[in-house]
Amino acid sequence: MGSEDQIPEWASTPCIMGIDEAGRGPVLGPMVYGCLYCPISYKKTLSTLEFADSKTLKEEKREELFESLKADCSIGWAVDVIDPRVLSAKMLQKNKINLNEISHESAMGLVKRVLDMGYLLTEVYVDTVGDPDKYIIKLTERFPSIKFVVAKKADSLYPVVSGASIVAKVTRDRALQNWNFDETAENMHRTFGSGYPGDPNTKGWLEHHKHSVFGFPSLVRFSWGTCESYFKGGVEVLWEADDDDVSSRKTVKRQSKLSNLGFTGMKRKSEDIESSGKGRCKFFQSRKLEQLSHF
Amino acid sequence: MNDEGASSETGTIDLGGVKSSSAVDLTDQIHQLPCCIKYNGPSPVSHYFKPKSTGIEVDGLNVKEAHFRGRKLQGTTVPLPDGYSGFVIGRKTVAKRKASDTNGGTTASWQMNAKFQNITFWNHDNLPSKEDAFLRALHLFDVAKALHKPVTAEDMESASNPEATATD
Repeated sequence: MGSEDQIPEWASTPCIMGIDEAGRGPVLGPMVYGCLYCPISYKKTLSTLEFADSKTLKEEKREELFESLKADCSIGWAVDVIDPRVLSAKMLQKNKINLNEISHESAMGLVKRVLDMGYLLTEVYVDTVGDPDKYIIKLTERFPSIKFVVAKKADSLYPVVSGASIVAKVTRDRALQNWNFDETAENMHRTFGSGYPGDPNTKGWLEHHKHSVFGFPSLVRFSWGTCESYFKGGVEVLWEADDDDVSSRKTVKRQSKLSNLGFTGMKRKSEDIESSGKGRCKFFQSRKLEQLSHF
Repeated sequence: MNDEGASSETGTIDLGGVKSSSAVDLTDQIHQLPCCIKYNGPSPVSHYFKPKSTGIEVDGLNVKEAHFRGRKLQGTTVPLPDGYSGFVIGRKTVAKRKASDTNGGTTASWQMNAKFQNITFWNHDNLPSKEDAFLRALHLFDVAKALHKPVTAEDMESASNPEATATD
């Protein structure tokens, strides 16, 4: 999504861009990366547009500013909406990808998109995620022709980033408001609150929507630590992808206990997950076919 | 099946309803997940577990996508081979016989509760493929058939070698 209909004439003049995110901390809903770009010559005018860090603005003011920047033909914008299902899946896959990495990829994706559309980006301002020095190296390696400024609180320091934060925040709020549940369970509602784990409405929503087997609707980021406290008393689910870290944590304890008892042959967790065919000929082992004498 | 050996357990599975059309048919509703869910019992699966077609094809298998507990699963629906059926069996509740009978009795009695003709198996992180253990496990059917197919008179004839001595 973004202003991609027509490439204006100023696209071929040196341009600046700001990038900011909304919805990084919340336990539910998408994370949105937004960017705003304009010709360098427009920088001064930009600072008169009352853009400020989106968090300090009231919702109506943000909406108003978003509409006015969309109508401004010297400004372009784009967003990357990262679905909560994608966030959960990436953070819980076997080779876990952390949120910083996802954030970096999203920001770089926006830079690439705007470059590919034909804009001559020369300066890009980004709020820092993780270590700023490492981040700037990563960005510069990927886009050597662009000068990057990575700064804490960039959204209140640079109007172009403030503008990007408005684009991101408004998009995130709308995405949450218009969320279509995949699930069809009864009594689901949309009083999500802000989505931050401390928000009483968010807490109430999570409590109301938890399910002992399925956990939560897929709007929730299962990879958030907050979720665990709600799973207490829920059904335990074991995954092979988690086998390594769990067993490394528990091995020491287990081993000492087992050797005390002179007991071996403890079932590995993965054998709970699937049969192994252990001790049988290769044909069966490679097909994980186990013989069951009783069940 | 009625071996009374000391170490063996005996059990019966009543597939009585197999041929009857009244048996519950769970075709298209059987999922094998790549995890262990420590729970047995009913659950509103169709309200939470929503497989979608991806349009991707691997080894001729149509790849589906679903999410469970935040994990992305990729799977495919495979029909069971001709002549085979899947069954959901449950412990049979038998009316108590004499009290002395139930003491130490290991006899398990099972009954068929539902049947199915296909199964959707799911991988975490990997696309389904012909190399997956689940699909390869189906090879057993062909192997078992080759090993156990009754020998016919023609088989004997074609296998017998005129120069060899008669079989004893």
